[in-house]
Amino acid sequence: MNDDFSELEDQLKNLRPVPASEELFANIEQELVDLASEKDPKIGRPVRFRINWLAVGAGLAAAAVIVIFARVNFRTPAQTQNVASVSPAPGVGSTTTPAQFIPAGATQVVYHTRDEGLLFPRGSEEPVRRVRSRIRETLQWQNPATGASLRVSYPSEQVELIPVSGQ
Amino acid sequence: MDNVATHENWKTRFSELAPGLVLFARQWVRSQADAEDVVREAFVRFWRRDHNIDNRPLLYAAVRSAALDLIRRDGRRARRENEVYSGMAQFSDPQFETIDDSQGVLATSIDRLPHEQREVLVMKIWNELTFAEIAEALEISPNTASSRYRYALAALKKDLLPQ
Repeated sequence: MNDDFSELEDQLKNLRPVPASEELFANIEQELVDLASEKDPKIGRPVRFRINWLAVGAGLAAAAVIVIFARVNFRTPAQTQNVASVSPAPGVGSTTTPAQFIPAGATQVVYHTRDEGLLFPRGSEEPVRRVRSRIRETLQWQNPATGASLRVSYPSEQVELIPVSGQ
Repeated sequence: MDNVATHENWKTRFSELAPGLVLFARQWVRSQADAEDVVREAFVRFWRRDHNIDNRPLLYAAVRSAALDLIRRDGRRARRENEVYSGMAQFSDPQFETIDDSQGVLATSIDRLPHEQREVLVMKIWNELTFAEIAEALEISPNTASSRYRYALAALKKDLLPQ
């Protein structure tokens, strides 16, 4: 710069800034991985992962619709047979219609949990811990009249931000 | 708008820039942790917009913007901003790894510089930006950047002279 200042500039260059922590690198890497999963990835998880979930979800929904229609079709000949019978069996004439399914159960299985470390959300004084869980939920319906059951199972992902206190 | 950083090279490139970026962020916040938070937010924001990691003026402008956003969001931090702009900032964490008393004195003198001079000094000495790059990042003219740098050196020299 200037000869008068060259010695001072050398002294300044010998002064080393405090190095960045490993946590900074880890936090940035985690955010970039999350970002890559949101948009066209440059790093991190492959796109295939998300597309598969969509395909699985659509497939399950289609399967559920097919099963419901199949049940309705099965009942139609049975009704015709009842009308044709001379003496209907006692106790069958309840209020439940033949194609009516009622909820019979629901399960939620957490099969993978990952602690993704501490984050500092915008505007927050306190850090939070981000925990990502992969869950499989299963819903079941049953037709009490016929004993037929219908079960739909699908995967989901849940992200929890847990406040961390005392730090 | 092409982001040349890939998973393989972003860490290498960022590790070269990180100490200087954190030091730059420290011009607005008191603690090392806050400065790292500013750098993290700025770098992720920068990456999200697909900027080229080698566009250093833009990267430093992003850090500066993230730091100002942080102190504006919080009233307590806004008071710090006032302190910074009045050139009265007192830092709680050390900004430099001093190895002897003379370096400690030099670091203290740097803290006493007016903010706009210290900002340019940090960008020039520890981030090795050119005056043109500093000017672009701070939205000032290259001549102003150069003048502030010279004023900073003159002030340090005067401060360090034996009484």
